[in-house]
Amino acid sequence: MSTIQRLAYRVDRRSILRASVFAGAGFTLFAPIGFRAAARQDSFTIAFIQGVIGDNFYITMDCGARAMAESLGNITLDTQGPERFDQTLQTPILSAVVQTAPDAIMMAPNDSRGMIAPIQAAIDAGVPVLCVDTTIDSDIQLADVATDNLEGGRLAARGLAESIGGAGKVFVVNVTPGISTTDLREAGFRDAIENEFPDIEYLGQEYGNNDANVSAQLTAARLQSDPDLAGIFGTNLFSAQGAAAALREQGLQGQVKMVGFDAGPTQVQDLRSEVVDLLIAQHPGDIGEVAVQLLHDFLTTGTPPNPKELVTGATIVTRENIDDPEVARYLYVADCAAYELAGATAVPAASPEATPTA
Amino acid sequence: MSGATETPSEADTSALPPRRPYLSRMSQSFTPVILLLIIIVFSLREGASFLNPRNFNDIIIDSSQLVVLTVGLTFVIITAGIDLSVGSVLILSSVVAAKVMIALSGTPQDIANFQFPTQQVGIPVGLLAGVVTGLICGVINGALITRLQMPSFIVTLGMLGIALGLGQLLSGGTSVPNVPPAVQSAIGLRELVGLEIGGQRVRITPPVVIAYGIALVAAVVLNRTRFGRYTYAIGSNAAASRRAGVNVNLHLVKIYALSGLLAGVAGAMDLMRFGTASVGSHQSDNLAAISASVIGGTSLFGGIGTIGGSVVGAFIPTVLRNGLVITRVQPFWQNVAIGMVLILAVYIDQRRRKAEERM
Repeated sequence: MSTIQRLAYRVDRRSILRASVFAGAGFTLFAPIGFRAAARQDSFTIAFIQGVIGDNFYITMDCGARAMAESLGNITLDTQGPERFDQTLQTPILSAVVQTAPDAIMMAPNDSRGMIAPIQAAIDAGVPVLCVDTTIDSDIQLADVATDNLEGGRLAARGLAESIGGAGKVFVVNVTPGISTTDLREAGFRDAIENEFPDIEYLGQEYGNNDANVSAQLTAARLQSDPDLAGIFGTNLFSAQGAAAALREQGLQGQVKMVGFDAGPTQVQDLRSEVVDLLIAQHPGDIGEVAVQLLHDFLTTGTPPNPKELVTGATIVTRENIDDPEVARYLYVADCAAYELAGATAVPAASPEATPTA
Repeated sequence: MSGATETPSEADTSALPPRRPYLSRMSQSFTPVILLLIIIVFSLREGASFLNPRNFNDIIIDSSQLVVLTVGLTFVIITAGIDLSVGSVLILSSVVAAKVMIALSGTPQDIANFQFPTQQVGIPVGLLAGVVTGLICGVINGALITRLQMPSFIVTLGMLGIALGLGQLLSGGTSVPNVPPAVQSAIGLRELVGLEIGGQRVRITPPVVIAYGIALVAAVVLNRTRFGRYTYAIGSNAAASRRAGVNVNLHLVKIYALSGLLAGVAGAMDLMRFGTASVGSHQSDNLAAISASVIGGTSLFGGIGTIGGSVVGAFIPTVLRNGLVITRVQPFWQNVAIGMVLILAVYIDQRRRKAEERM
């Protein structure tokens, strides 16, 4: 028994030894290839780290970035991203991307606080980082490009007000407290309702926890307390789908107007099948285009973007205007074949004082 | 990892046949060779982008929490059990640690102004509270499994939901704000040892020391102590162990307590590394840790496994992901590639084992 095992052990030691020798040979033979001479900088590589892979919003942003990179001619784009919106998955991806020594990184950080140190490490390694969509609570990033969610909320309020004839009770199904983007949408919605539409009564918001089922229950409860409800704003996909499900169950579809946010294929299908009446489309493609343009300017001139915080717009999508090319180009895409360069521009973000507070 | 420390003693203990099966298991494993092959392939393809000290430094830091969880899971799986709750317990522990830390670091007024006058007390007590939270969850798991005679799969699945829910309740469902930044800047990112290798800074930080220190101690405990022998014995044959006088239930409670404790440690490490407790993260850590153990040669049927193998097993997916990102492989293909390599690694390892048993 013991001899046999010693033999097994020795066999194994030999194979490990052999593998080590191969590894050593690999190091000596091929490692020098890696020490490439620094190329003359007339072309640049930008790495794009998405917030999560497989999401139409980030796919459209990637298409915008690629279209801009192609039109500029000297930019190569490398897109990566975590499987889920999780800082512990995004951090190793960021570290690995830094090892490829890109000229710049544009990324949607998974946590406003937790991603500060990993981004600082990338900057320390000499790679400038620009934040798209989400951001970090810091000023180490080169710039921020994101949707003006406050304005998106205002647009939702105006669109809903128009479809209910400027009077009645409205209510918001939000996601969970503490998400900056959806909180701003609600703040913008409330701001516009209270200041622009005196005949509309705002009933406040409920949190559906990003769950269509919970959102449906909350909406059903609200319909019990306020059967004369005129309109609902769902601040994201599941909030809107849940609220719409409750309306259908009570036979109120079409009577109570629904506004949803984002314009991915699912949301557009909901709009066409009259589950929702309006959509607020963000402009992720514009964000991608603007981000690449900013990085290109920075890499060629060396001047950091000023101002640092830029916002792109939002568009109201209805069943009536959805086929209008000016609106249709803001619907999110599933692959870049359908994307055309928009030549987008962004405007400086409003100063924080202008933001209505809760 | 610990393979290097075990190998020399192999010869010394050859006169003691009963201990050899435990000690030689690591050396039988083929997994280190697979890891080496992966490293060689990426080194050949990518050169210095992959094969440089800083990249391996990043990999070691990024896998520190997974290594801690994997150590706990290895003990659990050797006893033929499973612990699905580690990721959630990690989240709950980090939220509790963050909340205690904030509460003890100053008055609410101070905290609102981002001042932490008593953080010297708050930070260590907070981290300890996180570790204790993990321990409590682990003890509850162990007690339910042994007292109620419930399968570990069900009990820890229940704990997965309970711990995650409690973490979400305590944090309001979002990242905990206003954690004293010193926990990250002065502890998590502190450079204990810094080396310049080829113009690149290689850092040894506290999370690295904690993770690999724990792995080293666990390897010794599993190989050289009665605790370790009982662990293997229960996994091989619980009834026989009981008849041989081992208090199986008590030992199992200790095993699940250890797994919970280590999840608590990993939760405290989360604050050190990221400076915030995020309830949205770590939700697939349980599967990552289980697969690391299994790739490393731990048998899901119990009785077989080593810490060294598990640590190597934890590195295989991490190194693979790192190499694929550097090679600029599309993310969807990365998942396919990692899945295939996992199956292949375990298959080769099992075949080798069977071949050696026949010899």
